[in-house]
Amino acid sequence: MSRASWKRLLATVFPGTAWLLLFTLLPTLLILYASFLQRDPHGWLSGPLTLANYARFLGLGPDGFDPLYLRILGRSFLLGAVTTFFVVLLGYPFAFFIARSRHKNLLLLLVVLPFWTNFLIRVYAWIVIFQRKGVLNALLDNLGLQPLHLYPSWTAVYVGAVYTYLPFLILPLYASVEKIDWTLLEAAYDLGAGRVRGFWHAVFPQTLPGLVAGVLLVFIPALGTFVISDLLGGGKAILIGNVIQQQFGGSRDWAFGSAATFVLMAIVLGGLWLYARRAGERGMEELV
Amino acid sequence: MSRRLLSLHGLAVLLFLYLPIAVIVVLSFNSSKYGVAWHGFTLDWYVRLLSHSRLHGYVANSLIVAFSSTAIATVVGTLLALGLSRYRFGGRGAVLFLLYVPVVIPDVVMGVSLLLLFAWAQNYLRGLHLGLGTVIIAHATFQIAYVTLVVKSRLAGLDPSLEEAAADLGATSWRRFWAVTFPLVWPGIAAAALLAFTLSLDDFVITFFTAGPGATTLPIYIYSSVKRGVTPEIHAVSTLMIAVTTLALIGVQRISRRR
Amino acid sequence: MKKPVVLAALALLSLTLARGELRIFNWSEYIPEEVLQEFEQRYDVRIIYDTFEAPEAMMAKLQGGGYREYDLVVPPDYYVAELARSGLIRPLDHSRIPNLTNLYPEFQNPDYDPDNAHSVPYQWGTTGIAYRQSEVPGGVDSWAVFFDPEAYKGPFILLDEMRETIGAALKYLGYSLNDTDPAHLEEAGKLLIDAKKRSLGFADSVGARSRLLAGDAAVVHNYSGDIFAVQEEDDDIVYVIPKEGGTIWVDALAIPSQAPHPDLAYEFINFVLEPRVAATISNYNYYASPVQAAEPYLDAELLNNPAVYPTPAVRARLEFIHDLGEATVLYDRIWTEVKAR
Repeated sequence: MSRASWKRLLATVFPGTAWLLLFTLLPTLLILYASFLQRDPHGWLSGPLTLANYARFLGLGPDGFDPLYLRILGRSFLLGAVTTFFVVLLGYPFAFFIARSRHKNLLLLLVVLPFWTNFLIRVYAWIVIFQRKGVLNALLDNLGLQPLHLYPSWTAVYVGAVYTYLPFLILPLYASVEKIDWTLLEAAYDLGAGRVRGFWHAVFPQTLPGLVAGVLLVFIPALGTFVISDLLGGGKAILIGNVIQQQFGGSRDWAFGSAATFVLMAIVLGGLWLYARRAGERGMEELV
Repeated sequence: MSRRLLSLHGLAVLLFLYLPIAVIVVLSFNSSKYGVAWHGFTLDWYVRLLSHSRLHGYVANSLIVAFSSTAIATVVGTLLALGLSRYRFGGRGAVLFLLYVPVVIPDVVMGVSLLLLFAWAQNYLRGLHLGLGTVIIAHATFQIAYVTLVVKSRLAGLDPSLEEAAADLGATSWRRFWAVTFPLVWPGIAAAALLAFTLSLDDFVITFFTAGPGATTLPIYIYSSVKRGVTPEIHAVSTLMIAVTTLALIGVQRISRRR
Repeated sequence: MKKPVVLAALALLSLTLARGELRIFNWSEYIPEEVLQEFEQRYDVRIIYDTFEAPEAMMAKLQGGGYREYDLVVPPDYYVAELARSGLIRPLDHSRIPNLTNLYPEFQNPDYDPDNAHSVPYQWGTTGIAYRQSEVPGGVDSWAVFFDPEAYKGPFILLDEMRETIGAALKYLGYSLNDTDPAHLEEAGKLLIDAKKRSLGFADSVGARSRLLAGDAAVVHNYSGDIFAVQEEDDDIVYVIPKEGGTIWVDALAIPSQAPHPDLAYEFINFVLEPRVAATISNYNYYASPVQAAEPYLDAELLNNPAVYPTPAVRARLEFIHDLGEATVLYDRIWTEVKAR
């Protein structure tokens, strides 16, 4: 490359890269370092280096195997998976509903509005709906039915999660659905395929890029959420995000918190790296 | 799938999406302080907002952070997008991967790692304080990622022969950029900036960990209010936020339609 | 297009910074806005007021850098010694707080901070149980309402404060709430984990009382003043100190070790000890004032309320929470367990 080219490359790429290295890579390394430190009696981070935090996370304590944190991690994966399942159940047909409608723009606007509304508002609204003297129970009472005790509860957390992340699937999915080449379906029918087979072989694969991107954009935030479980779970629904928040909050154990953070980070980045290898640059672009 | 079933499903999903929002909006006009039973229409809660001076401070904080971080991110991100889309260089793949990290990583991970960074840096930079500044830096970090990716994809859609033609005609690279590339790419930059701005206004988790004294933003205030007990005043704040968002969205749609 | 906006914002920022600034970190709903405004006007300063709902969160914020950001913090008595030991708050120069003489004699040299070396008493009160009479016909008189599944089966909320909640379990078991025996703490931990399962979860005092008012829960663990404030709105709510005993506490003002504006901080402490100001604060938050000179200005019903100013009989059942030094780690561990399970 010419000298002028080099200068231009540097001018454009350097600020952004330096920023990312400083504020994304460096903090990650610090978390890794802190995860090997300990908490002194006053709550500060101190040496010597130790594997105790990871041992504790994996449940290897002096009193035998106690998989408390592994169970919490498992619960978080479960929440992510179940949330994603219901989001796809609700959102996949909805994307087609938009695509086939005459009021595409209006519908898109209607989907984007909740997406742009502050997510705290959208979460606490469910408190108002599910609380003892809330909207749902008022309705049930009017119908002469018994009240439901859904706040706080895991049900409320799941409903809140599905509600919060639904738009995150619909938007990237719709981007794929919009571009579907329906002639392929016609061709499949011509070849004698039934409606189900036709859809599965001719249409579904075309929605995969948007679907996969949407699934990732739902699963990962759901995995790491702490607000939804904190607000709708009343402090009883503990996910890995809550554990991390507690360690950097009231428990003042930044060392253990860093270990838990690094485990979550490693899982997510590992998944991202695998996805990048398979999907390549084009696939990554679907994520944004 | 039968058309009717699809429409029913669509309607159901829309109802689901809007029920909670409707509940909040309706309750913001309810004259009862507790419970959901309708006691009569009132604008009291909105009036109270006007005299709630600390709240105005929180709104100001949210706006200051959003404008500042968006400004930084738009400039840095656009430059980075330009560089990535034009030049193939060693380490390009690594930079691309690094870009996706703020986008994909759970908020709590990013918030906590930045808190650790700032706390650690305070040992070496005596003047560093947790405050609005650290929040702005934190927001700009994830915004740069979004801006870069959006602008980069817009740049990828451009016809390279236009720039080549300008080069053949003897334009310097600076001129080429301003005269040819920029006019074509600026809707993408504007869209990216708008996205970044919205992400900043809406952010809670990252701000929660990186904010210092006096850096309380509106989402942080809403969170602690919800934990203390939802009041109709919060419903009023929320309804106003929803109204502003709706107007902004409609505005954006109108503008982009005119293009 | 964005540049002028940023410039304007920065200009606004610097304008506000030109005025003196005082940064306070206090419990939420603990000081009336009028008191803050009076101080702002008198000293021509701007008060930045941040709040916390639980002392553990306060400790976390302070340690995470708050000790160089805030000018004033209001810890509970049992954290004062710990804060001093960790170097997070500074020793006080009493020559700059002449109004210290306004305090009652027993607050001049309290156990938790001899000679008020590091802190100045702000408010004091008790912690007990609040419940809705109409939903608990037999009334409540014991911690068993939380810990004995047979005693009460309705909805209740636990308090999100480590020493108070573990303390309640210890008192129910018949131990002192300053017990450091690991076996006793284990017992208390098990009791709490079980109670948590049957409860509606944890909440801070303000959140819990809101839910009590809203009808979500019928029994909550709460602070005296918070409940008296609520009783004005709903007289179905009753506050009681259980027979096994409860806590009596003092919240105190302290100045973080690297406070940016210590001079203003001293002024504020002195200001809050003025008789009228102290009375305004207590009349607002329904807690007891340690300022003797404030008595003439306090609401009569507050002074005569035996629940706000406990009788000797009730006082005998109350224990102060003590700083336990290194043994606090035992409590930390149990609390983390209880929160995580």
